[in-house]
Amino acid sequence: MESWLKKTLTVIAIFVAIVPLGILGTWNCGDAWGEWGEVQDTAHGINWAPQAYFGAPLPDYNVEGWDSMLMASVGYWISAIIGIALTMLVILGIVKALEIAREGK
Amino acid sequence: MHIPDGYLGPATCAVMFAVMIPVWYFAFKRAGEKLGPKEVPMLAVLSAVSFLVMMFNWPVPDGTTAHMVGGTLIAIILGPWAAVIAVTVALVIQAFFFGDGGITALGANCFNMAFVLPFAGYYIYRALEGRMGKIASSAIAAYIAINIAAIFAAIEFGVQPYIAPGYCPYGLNLSIPAMSLAHLATAGPVAAVVTAAVVGYLEKSRPDLLELKKIAPGVTE
Repeated sequence: MESWLKKTLTVIAIFVAIVPLGILGTWNCGDAWGEWGEVQDTAHGINWAPQAYFGAPLPDYNVEGWDSMLMASVGYWISAIIGIALTMLVILGIVKALEIAREGK
Repeated sequence: MHIPDGYLGPATCAVMFAVMIPVWYFAFKRAGEKLGPKEVPMLAVLSAVSFLVMMFNWPVPDGTTAHMVGGTLIAIILGPWAAVIAVTVALVIQAFFFGDGGITALGANCFNMAFVLPFAGYYIYRALEGRMGKIASSAIAAYIAINIAAIFAAIEFGVQPYIAPGYCPYGLNLSIPAMSLAHLATAGPVAAVVTAAVVGYLEKSRPDLLELKKIAPGVTE
């Protein structure tokens, strides 16, 4: 493996190790603007919830029911590892498909 | 900036997919022509980096949260068409597996974060690079690009009360200041520092990795 690739994967692994900071740092905060599950805003007289059309297997990067800080961190770790593996696999799959398409021409 | 399902009306969702389909087509076409053996692993790890940096949320003073995207960094290293693919893949996996960003809003989210952001970042970087060097221009590009993307997201949110009642309840008067605060004050500075740090490190230690083939309009080699 090329040295830069090894180094980059090491850096990614370090950031995966500390990824729970991404959820613990916002533990008592609201959601990002416009990403609320429901809106109860008395100041503007708004009581609204978005329609949800699909369910995801690991909603909010967590296993459903893992609500404590510790378990949510574990869920976040699992999500980061699955997400990164999937991302790289999908990219490599796309590249393979593009190669096949190019050879077919 | 991941717009969930139920916030954008059907017309907005349809228009955003309609805009993204040719963008995706050209991105894949150009990538198929130009990705070499050295660029492929870089594209894979940069897509993973984008996925990962979007998991690092921090609080914004108004009670919301924000994160960076990594689109400018990817556009600087591999070109904006490559960034379209890398960020799109991260957003698709976030939407389908983790419920982050809606499926119906995927066209809009890809438009903001996987198209507008990397193209803005790439062209700002290219415009400044000759005058102020790679580090400063990458910082400025990353800062401005994420803010442009955030304003597009704010407009998509904010027009809904006028065109699609029952969807996003807040108009432009609230969406634009809120999205701008989060990104001018927090996500922009973080994106600037992280992007410039990586570009600065590469310039010093591995300048060859900044000279990879760029999958960009007008770049023939």
